[in-house]
Amino acid sequence: MTDVHAQPTGSTGPSSTGPTTSGAGRVLVAVYGIFALAATARASVQLLTRFDEAPLAYLLSAVAGLVYIIATITLARGTRASRRLALVAIIIELVGVVTVGTLSVLDPEAFPRATVWSIYGIGYGFVPLVLPILGLAWLWHTRPVND
Amino acid sequence: MIDALAYSVVALAGVAVIWGILTAIVNKPPGKAQLLYAAGLEAVTVVQSIIAAAKIIGGFRPVELATTIGYLIGIVILIPIAWFWANVERNRFSGVVLAVAALAVFAMTLRLLMLWTPAG
Repeated sequence: MTDVHAQPTGSTGPSSTGPTTSGAGRVLVAVYGIFALAATARASVQLLTRFDEAPLAYLLSAVAGLVYIIATITLARGTRASRRLALVAIIIELVGVVTVGTLSVLDPEAFPRATVWSIYGIGYGFVPLVLPILGLAWLWHTRPVND
Repeated sequence: MIDALAYSVVALAGVAVIWGILTAIVNKPPGKAQLLYAAGLEAVTVVQSIIAAAKIIGGFRPVELATTIGYLIGIVILIPIAWFWANVERNRFSGVVLAVAALAVFAMTLRLLMLWTPAG
């Protein structure tokens, strides 16, 4: 991904490439990257070794991993199209962590094994709950002026 | 895995977290010493993962084998990626990026220590 700043983006100006990845955005992308790695690796292990135990929870783990991967890449690119995709991914992430978090509190039986979103991400210091809020705030903060 | 070595990684990573936050607070990009320190942390982490891998190849079976292997690989790649990512744009946030990666190494190594008990 060394060429993120060299993307030809047609008529969009130079300011449209990379505001999401500058300054504090670099930290956000780094945290998203770590969660992409953690959630995907965890889901892979769960799906490959004990899918039968809790198929729903493990499939949601895989969805979480995919959402984090998409958010990481789209935020790191920061073009207009990828910002739109990032917005969708982060909204899914927010809905996911709130839904899975609430379900795992109400019905622990459905989530016998922890996923990255269980109990609002308690196993990861509640970062999974805070991250989408920061992501949306950052997309808002870096929104193009006349768009 | 050797306990003393793992705890060294935890301690070194903890210092790297604090260092990264401090350079951000004083609004500076990470200096040469800090980058060398991160390289040192990476070196110790690599040694630890190699030793752990050797023990697994030698027949040791931790409780969660797949998870353990994932962690052993994960902790090795985090610092180099963060190093690259922190150096593309050098400012106070580079230090935070290094701190975030070091925090992940810190937490994952603690988790590895917990996982490192023989199965069955």
